[in-house]
Amino acid sequence: MNETSPVLNVTIDGIQVSVPKGATILEAAERVGVVIPRYCYHPGLSAPAVCRMCLVEVDGAPKPLPSCVQQVQDGMVVHTASAEARKARRAAVEFLLVNHPLDCPICDAAGQCELQDYAFETGQLRTRNIEPKAVLGRDKLTPDILYFADRCVLCTRCVRFMDEIAQEPVLQVIQRGHKGYIDTMTDELFEHPFSMNIVDVCPVGALVNEDFLFKPRAWDLDQTPSICPGCSQGCNVLLGTKENRVLRAKPRPNNEVNSYWMCDHGRQALVNWGAGDRIEVPMIRESGRLAPTDWPQALAALSRTLEARPAGARAIVSAGASNESLYIARKLADKVGFKGGVFRVETGPEAGLPGFPKLRLRAERAPNVRGAELLGFRRSADVLEAIRGHKGVLIVLEDALIDAPEDFGVELEMFIYVGTHMSPAARRADIILPSTTFAEAEGSFTNVEGRVQRFAQALHPPGLARPLWLTGSTALAGLGAGAVYRTAAAAFDALVGEFGEFQGLSYAKLGLGGASVAEAESSAANVS
Amino acid sequence: MAYPHAHPREARVLSKHFGEKDAIPIDGWIERGGYKALDKALAASPDDITQIVKDSGLRGRGGAGFPTGLKWSFMPKDGGKPNYLACNADESEPGTFKDREIMRWTPHQLIEGCIISSYAIRAKHAYIYIRGEFVDVVRILNQAVVEAYERGYLGKNIKGSGYDLDLTVHLGAGAYIAGEETGLLNSLEGRRAEPRIKPPFPAQRGAFGMPTTVNNVETLAAVPHIVLNGADWYRQWGTSKSPGTKLFSCCGHLQRPGNYEVPLDFNLRDLVFDLCGGPPKGRQLLALIPGGSSVPIMTADEIDCDVSYEGIEAAGSMLGSGGLIAMDDSTCMVRAVRRMVEFYAHESCGQCTNCREGTSWLAKILRRIERGQGREEDLPLLLDIGANMAGKTICPLSDSAAVPVVSAIQKFGREFEAHIQDGRCTAVN
Amino acid sequence: MSESIHPAVCSAQPSQRADKNPDAPLFEGAYKERFDHILSRYPNKRAALLPVLNMAQELRGWLSPATITRVAELLELTPDYVRSVASFYTMFQLRPVGRHLIQVCIGIGCDLCGAEEVVEDLLEATGTRIGETSRDGKYTVVEVECLGACGFPTVVQVNDKVYENVKPEDVEGLMKELD
Ligand SMILES: Cc1cc2nc3c(=O)[nH]c(=O)nc-3n(C[C@H](O)[C@H](O)[C@H](O)COP(=O)(O)O)c2cc1C
Ligand code: SF4
Ligand code: SF4
Ligand code: SF4
Ligand code: FES
Ligand code: FES
Repeated sequence: MNETSPVLNVTIDGIQVSVPKGATILEAAERVGVVIPRYCYHPGLSAPAVCRMCLVEVDGAPKPLPSCVQQVQDGMVVHTASAEARKARRAAVEFLLVNHPLDCPICDAAGQCELQDYAFETGQLRTRNIEPKAVLGRDKLTPDILYFADRCVLCTRCVRFMDEIAQEPVLQVIQRGHKGYIDTMTDELFEHPFSMNIVDVCPVGALVNEDFLFKPRAWDLDQTPSICPGCSQGCNVLLGTKENRVLRAKPRPNNEVNSYWMCDHGRQALVNWGAGDRIEVPMIRESGRLAPTDWPQALAALSRTLEARPAGARAIVSAGASNESLYIARKLADKVGFKGGVFRVETGPEAGLPGFPKLRLRAERAPNVRGAELLGFRRSADVLEAIRGHKGVLIVLEDALIDAPEDFGVELEMFIYVGTHMSPAARRADIILPSTTFAEAEGSFTNVEGRVQRFAQALHPPGLARPLWLTGSTALAGLGAGAVYRTAAAAFDALVGEFGEFQGLSYAKLGLGGASVAEAESSAANVS
Repeated sequence: MAYPHAHPREARVLSKHFGEKDAIPIDGWIERGGYKALDKALAASPDDITQIVKDSGLRGRGGAGFPTGLKWSFMPKDGGKPNYLACNADESEPGTFKDREIMRWTPHQLIEGCIISSYAIRAKHAYIYIRGEFVDVVRILNQAVVEAYERGYLGKNIKGSGYDLDLTVHLGAGAYIAGEETGLLNSLEGRRAEPRIKPPFPAQRGAFGMPTTVNNVETLAAVPHIVLNGADWYRQWGTSKSPGTKLFSCCGHLQRPGNYEVPLDFNLRDLVFDLCGGPPKGRQLLALIPGGSSVPIMTADEIDCDVSYEGIEAAGSMLGSGGLIAMDDSTCMVRAVRRMVEFYAHESCGQCTNCREGTSWLAKILRRIERGQGREEDLPLLLDIGANMAGKTICPLSDSAAVPVVSAIQKFGREFEAHIQDGRCTAVN
Repeated sequence: MSESIHPAVCSAQPSQRADKNPDAPLFEGAYKERFDHILSRYPNKRAALLPVLNMAQELRGWLSPATITRVAELLELTPDYVRSVASFYTMFQLRPVGRHLIQVCIGIGCDLCGAEEVVEDLLEATGTRIGETSRDGKYTVVEVECLGACGFPTVVQVNDKVYENVKPEDVEGLMKELD
């Protein structure tokens, strides 16, 4: 909203607030922390004002007004909690429950259901309705999504997502009035790379992900802000975790990156990320055999290798590693004499979202391609080929080298493997340092547009696994090269000091929404 | 062939030629003075026409009674975008069948009204949205439209005036809510006939996003008479707030049901008892709905009022569409109300929670009471549901659905109570 | 149907006939002309949807998924959208119905004047229940809301023909006429 556009004053529940022209009552209320209940309104979609849940009392208006579409007029006095407003809200909730099966105890959305929340809030524990309920049943819409028609409140959020954002209007309201329900044209299931967003926008348990059906209860999940590692887009997400596992991810709104959406591939990738047997303890090779050890021993061994060597150090890193770990990998190599480093990126088909074109499932199925590049690593289709003939130190960060030949590393002076998973090639390393996934330690990724975005720690790392920015910086500090970075913030701020592209940024400044590297910003500025 | 039950006390302006088969074809219509008003209109400016209609005090006959000239004056004059006229011929309000008769007997009256009104609002295309069930009527209307094209009353350069107008007859497909003006616009655009949020109003953004005036058939049919004879002539009938004549569709328990056109200061009781002959012999009038099922029910004692908008309102109901439904003492009020509510449940577009759920809930409760399974607490519950449905939705269908329930319980509460207590109907049979 | 229809009224050809060929080609010859005329009356193709569905139903008797898909293609809409719109309106049949679709008004005007008996008699005469098609495929009796002719109760519409003032005693004659 342009700052010079006229400003209107409105009073919401006694609190004065100024809003730009065009703002709705609902938006104005949010500015003063008043959250008006709503079902059909979704900030990422058009507002049809059909649920009638958001009605508020406005002085001088003969009827309660729908706050989701009613624009603020100067001097308006709004009451969201007056007797009239509360009665209107109670009415909407009661109506929605008339034909609702009230199967909350077995509903997948229980605990995150807006209907349940408001029914509770309006104190409607007893129903005045004794009539038989309409029974519409359930239907499978996509290979993973089930529709429970009886729970549907016909808010049309799912319809509008497919129409306005996916721009493939396959979901429609069929029939009319109390016979209405949501369906597609045929019995055939539809598939769309962003289909799971309809489950997210559904304010009740009418659309559910079959994978998630009857598994954990929503209220059992801890929520942690994170970044999807599924591709170089860097969608902002909330990880839902329980018993130290990621069970699901939901998009976290960021208008610069993913709006309110994320793709289905990302959801899968997030849940599967880091699956398999993990390396839980550091290991060092002693008389030809790998032996588990503790961190002081392992880091001491690492320090001993970090001296300038004529053949220098090369690195194979991962575009799934954080900026901070990549930075430390680079510093370790620098200490020996950096002779170049590479990483590989898996690719897959792209998929766009026409209603929010900034968001694409990118071909590069890794979150930090740009970060790795900015830190001096080069993308390579064949990372093994890129280090062929190297005789010095090899630092491998989070690439399990599963395609390496059996005799991998015979020529190397020293092979340091920092990773999460064991592999035949990793077993040939001299030092193995267990590291963390994006979910197990905080850090940041730089997305395809050069936007640096932070993720928080959602899980405890297994065993002794620790992020390289902590372990590596400890070893380096012991050699007088920099400080021990006990936080990703410290590591990132040090990185900013050394890599000009990140100039002007700081971990604190990134906040939860991220910020763009200078170069990205300037090229963006040229475009506009 | 005389139109059934024409009555000397009527003031037949629009219905003058009802029943005359010869008035249907264009020649017969012209012989009866048809299309004279158009000549006069085309010689004047659009704003002059709007002014005459404003001065006449003509109010919309579709139900809301909005002043027609004023509505026209909201239409942009700059011609930056095409303006449209949409004639609302969806007539589906239970008890109402006047537009049907206008189109069936005097299609050219409507067409002439559409042309003059389009001219006044600077429209180049007019649509007549006619309900799909009017199969025989639409054939007559279509024939008349083709004749009007052939005679140069439609098309390019109408009668050498330089004014171009196309008129398209558009058939609905079964939805009462397509009669609500924004539902009509959506339906005309090939969408579900779901009413739109207002603002924007149709004059700002109507059909195809363009400025549009929506008028009822009877409203438009009155326009040629007003233009030809002047505002004062029209004001010889009715009251200052409700000038002119109006068609009343009268049905239910009456000796002579049918359409009657009376001045708007005509007495309602006279309309029922004198013109319509009152209820069948041996029966007493129990209740009357004066303006289609969406207006409050009146008791037989309440009908000593004139039929003007303000007169009926003062007597506790509304003029609405002029669809008069008479119920005699054989009527089961619970059943009658249930039937009307079922109509709204069937016709609710279903967008708004209160309307979608409220209409079907009301119907279920009423069916239960009718079956003899009513409870004491049902009446206050019905009233409260009604209150929760009123004034809270996108369009007034929700309010309309509550009206018969609330007004019947208020005025005929005894019948509901008897039903609940005795478990059956106690109406005279 | 060889005579050409004026473009102004192509969008309003009443057709409630349920006795057409479900595989009839869509919009050839005179129907193609009507289709083009319809399109010429609106600023976009979507607006032609109701008239075109109506025409498709006139030809095929009901709107099968295949018909809906074809109409969607012709008007550059999605089949899902067309199904949604079609399902909104009661006159579009999304299932096959009998050759005589007998629609009895049960609106308040007709109900007050005995529509219920007319319904019962028609059900008996056709040997069906509400909405059901008789075994010989001839009849489907449905109850409909107010047909806008309340002064002439009971109003019965059979396909595209309206019968006014139908009393129970008229049912027999009506059935003969349909036979
Ligand atoms: C639920 C509903 C149904 C309506 N149905 C009709 C109708 O069938 N015919 C009509 O002329 N107006 C109908 N109206 C009124 C229209 O919305 C609109 O006010 C009218 O067509 C305007 O024309 P007028 O100003 O000439 O009366 C309906 C309104 C509502 C709320
Ligand atoms: S399925 Fe969910 S999102 Fe879709 S209309 Fe129903 S309640 Fe709304
Ligand atoms: S687009 Fe990329 S970042 Fe976004 S959810 Fe999908 S895989 Fe994850
Ligand atoms: S009030 Fe009823 S008919 Fe009107 S828009 Fe809302 S749901 Fe539709
Ligand atoms: S949120 Fe405003 S009406 Fe639904
Ligand atoms: S009630 Fe039967 S036609 Fe109106």
